[in-house]
Amino acid sequence: MEVSETIAHHILDHDLGVMIGAFHLPITAHTLTMLGVSIVLFVVAVLLSVRGKSLLSRLLNTVGEEYVAFMRDGIVVPGIGKEGIAFLPYFCTLFLFILFSNLAGLIPQMKTITSNISVTGGLALCSGGLIVYAGIKTHGLWGFIKSFIPGGTPWWLVPLMFPLEVISLIIRVCVLAIRLFANMLSGHMVLLSLLLIIFIIGQMSKMAGVGAAFPAMGLEIFMTFLELLVAFLQAYVFSLLTSIYVGLVVHSH
Amino acid sequence: MENLLNPDFGVMALTIVNFLLLVWLLHKFAWKSIIGALEKREQQIAQDKETAALARQEAQNIKAELDAKLKEISNEAALKMQEAVAVGNAQKEQILAETQKQAEQLLAQAKEQIAAEKTKALADVREQVVSMALLAAVKITQQQITQETAASAVDEVLREVKQAGVKTH
Repeated sequence: MEVSETIAHHILDHDLGVMIGAFHLPITAHTLTMLGVSIVLFVVAVLLSVRGKSLLSRLLNTVGEEYVAFMRDGIVVPGIGKEGIAFLPYFCTLFLFILFSNLAGLIPQMKTITSNISVTGGLALCSGGLIVYAGIKTHGLWGFIKSFIPGGTPWWLVPLMFPLEVISLIIRVCVLAIRLFANMLSGHMVLLSLLLIIFIIGQMSKMAGVGAAFPAMGLEIFMTFLELLVAFLQAYVFSLLTSIYVGLVVHSH
Repeated sequence: MENLLNPDFGVMALTIVNFLLLVWLLHKFAWKSIIGALEKREQQIAQDKETAALARQEAQNIKAELDAKLKEISNEAALKMQEAVAVGNAQKEQILAETQKQAEQLLAQAKEQIAAEKTKALADVREQVVSMALLAAVKITQQQITQETAASAVDEVLREVKQAGVKTH
């Protein structure tokens, strides 16, 4: 197996080929991981919300409240304003879902589902849907359509500006998907490449392979910590950008 | 590797459904409760802050009131002190004047008494001198007076007069 194939084997999704009659179900390693992440996230969030009198329960409640306060005061309100508080549950779920998905790849036998363009594309489409929904909710359908034409635009520029603004919105959504996908994919590729260096050098000489293992493992550990940081950072960036895009639509004139 | 960039629309659709379902479930079972608790806590904090601000305002009002009262009392005390000092000074002046008057009266009385005593003493001396002179005259006439005896009799009379004058002083 070539190096590129080995990397692709670890990163690419694997279809489990589940069929219902002639209908092919998209049951893959990534979708199963996504289901696992969703279940874990649901359990964690419910544990954070359940009121109790024990110390652990109060501690979890405090963590939950601090998290929601951080999302509200650090992401939603700065990006959208007070109007965005209605979308707070969406952002709370989005951040944790992306974070858990990013971190899942660091657990052995689990997959980084956010290194799959289909998953990040799905999340970006959800955010795109939220942007459109917020725009229509705030300005009405006609107002939302009119918001694609910046104020003061001469009438003869409207046919040019309108498609440009629509494309701009679509690009924003695509960028959300590609940024998350590329960052998570590149991180895992680097991790895998560092591990494969040991085996490639080991094929040439076993002693050289053993010698290469130490620096490669050092770099691997460093990269793993970097991936941890990137996992948080990308979840934050995705959520923040979504809130900014929603804010742009809500406050468009 | 080219599959990396080929989206699987089935996975994409499943992601959307899974994520939106998760948003709904978490909103219903987790975030609603946490957001409610957070808002309740923030309201409580805001109320506590408001109460504390009111209490502080009230305390400041009371302090201002007490300060004003204290100032008033202090002013009153100073005024009363001034009045007391003025009354004291007036009484002092009055007492001094009375004392002066009494002392002057006593001095005048004493002077009058001394003058009266002096006049009386002089009158006594005069009476005694007269009586002595008469006595001497009697003695002179009773005895056969020689020049020498007469002189000695006059000296005796003068000595007696002198002694009597010393006694009166």
